[in-house]
Amino acid sequence: MNPQAKLVFVFSLMLGTTLTISSNHWIMAWAGLEINTLSILPLISKSHHPRAIEAATKYFLVQAAASTLVLFSGMTNAWHTGQWDITQLTHPLSCLVLTAALSMKLGLVPFHFWFPEVLQGSPLTTGLILSTVMKLPPIALLFMTSHSLNPTMMTIMAILSVALGGWMGLNQTQIRKIMAFSSISHLGWMAIIIVYSPKLTLLNFYLYALMTATVFLTFNSIKTLKLSTLMTTWAKTPSLSMILLLVLMSLAGLPPLTGFLPKWLIIQELTNQHMAPAATTISLLSLLSLFFYLRLAYCATITLPPHTTNHMKQWHSTKPINLSIAVLATASTMMLPISPMIFATI
Amino acid sequence: MDQSMVLNTFMLLTLTTLLTPIILPLLTNSLKNTPNTITNTVKTSFLLSLIPMTIYIHSGTENLVTLWEWKFIMNFKIPVSLKMDFYSLTFFPIALFVSWSILQFATWYMASDPYITKFFTYLLLFLIAMLILIISNNLFLLFIGWEGVGIMSFLLISWWHGRAEANTAALQAVLYNRVGDVGLILCMAWLATTMNTWEIQQVTSPDKIPTLPLLGLILAATGKSAQFGLHPWLPAAMEGPTPVSALLHSSTMVVAGIFLLIRTHPMFSNNQTALSLCLCLGAISTLFAATCALTQNDIKKIIAFSTSSQLGLMMVTIGLNLPQLAFLHISTHAFFKAMLFLCSGSIIHNLNGEQDIRKMGGLQKMLPTTTSCLTIGNLALMGTPFLAGFYSKDQIIESLNTSYLNAWALLLTLLATSFTAVYTTRMTIMVQTGFVRIPPLTPMNENNPAILRPLTRLALGSITAGFLITSYIVPTKTPPMTMPLSIKLTAILVTVLGIAMALELSKLTQTLIKPKRNAFSDFSTSLGHFNPLMHRPSAMALLGGGQNIATHLVDSSWYKMMGPEGLASLQQMAAKTLTTLHTGQIKAYLGTFALSILIMLTSTY
Repeated sequence: MNPQAKLVFVFSLMLGTTLTISSNHWIMAWAGLEINTLSILPLISKSHHPRAIEAATKYFLVQAAASTLVLFSGMTNAWHTGQWDITQLTHPLSCLVLTAALSMKLGLVPFHFWFPEVLQGSPLTTGLILSTVMKLPPIALLFMTSHSLNPTMMTIMAILSVALGGWMGLNQTQIRKIMAFSSISHLGWMAIIIVYSPKLTLLNFYLYALMTATVFLTFNSIKTLKLSTLMTTWAKTPSLSMILLLVLMSLAGLPPLTGFLPKWLIIQELTNQHMAPAATTISLLSLLSLFFYLRLAYCATITLPPHTTNHMKQWHSTKPINLSIAVLATASTMMLPISPMIFATI
Repeated sequence: MDQSMVLNTFMLLTLTTLLTPIILPLLTNSLKNTPNTITNTVKTSFLLSLIPMTIYIHSGTENLVTLWEWKFIMNFKIPVSLKMDFYSLTFFPIALFVSWSILQFATWYMASDPYITKFFTYLLLFLIAMLILIISNNLFLLFIGWEGVGIMSFLLISWWHGRAEANTAALQAVLYNRVGDVGLILCMAWLATTMNTWEIQQVTSPDKIPTLPLLGLILAATGKSAQFGLHPWLPAAMEGPTPVSALLHSSTMVVAGIFLLIRTHPMFSNNQTALSLCLCLGAISTLFAATCALTQNDIKKIIAFSTSSQLGLMMVTIGLNLPQLAFLHISTHAFFKAMLFLCSGSIIHNLNGEQDIRKMGGLQKMLPTTTSCLTIGNLALMGTPFLAGFYSKDQIIESLNTSYLNAWALLLTLLATSFTAVYTTRMTIMVQTGFVRIPPLTPMNENNPAILRPLTRLALGSITAGFLITSYIVPTKTPPMTMPLSIKLTAILVTVLGIAMALELSKLTQTLIKPKRNAFSDFSTSLGHFNPLMHRPSAMALLGGGQNIATHLVDSSWYKMMGPEGLASLQQMAAKTLTTLHTGQIKAYLGTFALSILIMLTSTY
């Protein structure tokens, strides 16, 4: 892609995100969301492949609808209460519609259908941006309006997200779809605690972003898009495959890796709020996603005799591996001991 | 002189003498057993055991000896106590006499066997176990003897273990005995928990003993003494050598069940239900066995069924609450039944292994002593007046006729008595008289003292034992003294009727009319269809049920379906269903979004 065009799009992304995060007027928030939507569309469809175009179209339709609903909820609230403050959302209809709208933006069940296909149609780095950066504004809005959200709805959507992310991910062989469903699953964890402790949602999101970035960048550097390709990476980058195993386990939430921290704190908070059955359910359903993470790890670390693939990029890895993967991997696996500091700084 | 000490000494000496062939070879290598030493040991024991019996007859001395107590549980005594009362003091000489004769016979019968010493050792071990059973005072020691005779029976029936039928028969014996053992253990458990003892003397109570332990005892007797229901093992046990059949399955082991009931009869006296059960069970057993014996062609099987029938008669006597009479019948029965088996053994060996009576005939001229003893034994079995069997059998039938009891049991027993006469006469006629049906070149020789002496001894016993025992023993219950003439003659009449019928029917064998098959003859020939009806279904049910529980229920169902595989298939189902929902059409997606928002709105408002 044209470097200047890429520059414009990336800067627009940053602009849109910053705009939404720092706004306290609904119109500004909506504007930031729209800028984000528009600027990432070319990034998704940059390869001009039909599937990429389809992904971009789906992304646009859904996100536009979601942004409309965001604006609609803000507008209804302004009509009834006379003010546009994001934190002062009081009208019940607005609250409900906002819950639905933000779920659509994020990809919570039952508004998740677009996410796997969009991610599948986009390149790996764009997929990373879609999973992390594009989620930041909606989560920031969620954080700011956490007191106005409908708890029942959030809990139901969260548990369904974890469940669906788990079950759907079991049946996939394409890595980007697997990552999409893992993202949906993690969004469920984030959503369940938003009403009780928004700080933990943010913590979960940051750590999730860290771990997902590692995984996406790893997959990008070893150029694998499906499980069968993943099975032959051990011959090219054996140590990276090992690190991938650890990072995937961290994503799954296994102690003593970093990914355990948000899950632990969320379960603790839920139990304190007398929601122990919900905590149990969500933990048990996370086991499903553990299964496909294990499958990914197994495919990465399995030893198979090398065989010819008709995947040309496999043979010529001209690019050296991105150094940031090392930093990110370390951060995603070894930060559990300093959890008090992490929790204090959120 | 101190009679009780002499009694005690000689009884213990009897038992110790029998133990010497077992223990001494273990101590030194130079003292090896031979069949003759073992026979002489048993003879010595017999002579020793006569002394205590004489002392008892002279002065009525009885003895109860406690040798050792197994201090196992604090407040439950398990002593090794021996009871030397009428039953054990009388049965010891009889059992030892019969065993001595059988062992002497076996020195000839098993002479060509390479492991003859082991055979004799087995028989000796069996005898020791049987005597422990007889002399024991508590059910614990009795159980030790009980199990001992069961094991030895298994080993001896499968003596020729290269033969598949012998192994099957031994297994059958063990299995049926085991089923009976459950009853004995039930009774022991009940006694231990309710009466806190296993001694019979401590079990007397003025009111009725509950039926449960008595049912257990009856089950034990059914198993051990081959009453109807647990009877098939006794005819099958004829696979063992003839000395084994003579010792175990006619005189001693099979009477162990009846002996148990005799020992525990104080428990039975008040419980009319248990007594009626004994009566009816005995009546069925005796008639069934007699019916099966009618169409048997194997000489040993005929004698086996006749044993079974007499055991049923003993059970009937128990049911009449006459234990001493049952014991009398045990004693007299031992003599003539052992002799019948020894005669059949002599015949079989002389005919070079032929056991089918259709292939024997006219042996009276060729084996005079054997066939004479056979005749004496058969007459004693039928209850011919003043032979051994008469004193016990006739008294039993008189008591049956004069008691207030189940008329049906009476009818069955009388019918069985006449059947006894029928098959006995049939056997006699086919074996001893008539045309010769054996192969021409059959060298017969019965002039071995090892055959003749036991046979004549037992013949003497068959003639005089009944008279001697009844002369010297005072009955504990008054026998019926007066009865109408027809009642008195019932036993003789039905026997004579049976003999006449058998003689008449045997004339038919001289004609060329083929005997017709009908349902009754089929019933008799196939032993009441019992074996095919019961063996296969019960084994299938047990093993099939076991497989269902172990493999299907536990392994497949609980371990697999309820656990990992079931869980995995559920998740698979969920994943597949959900995958089909993700169609890829944006219209469907947007529609779902709209529907969801609608549901959310309507549900909260």
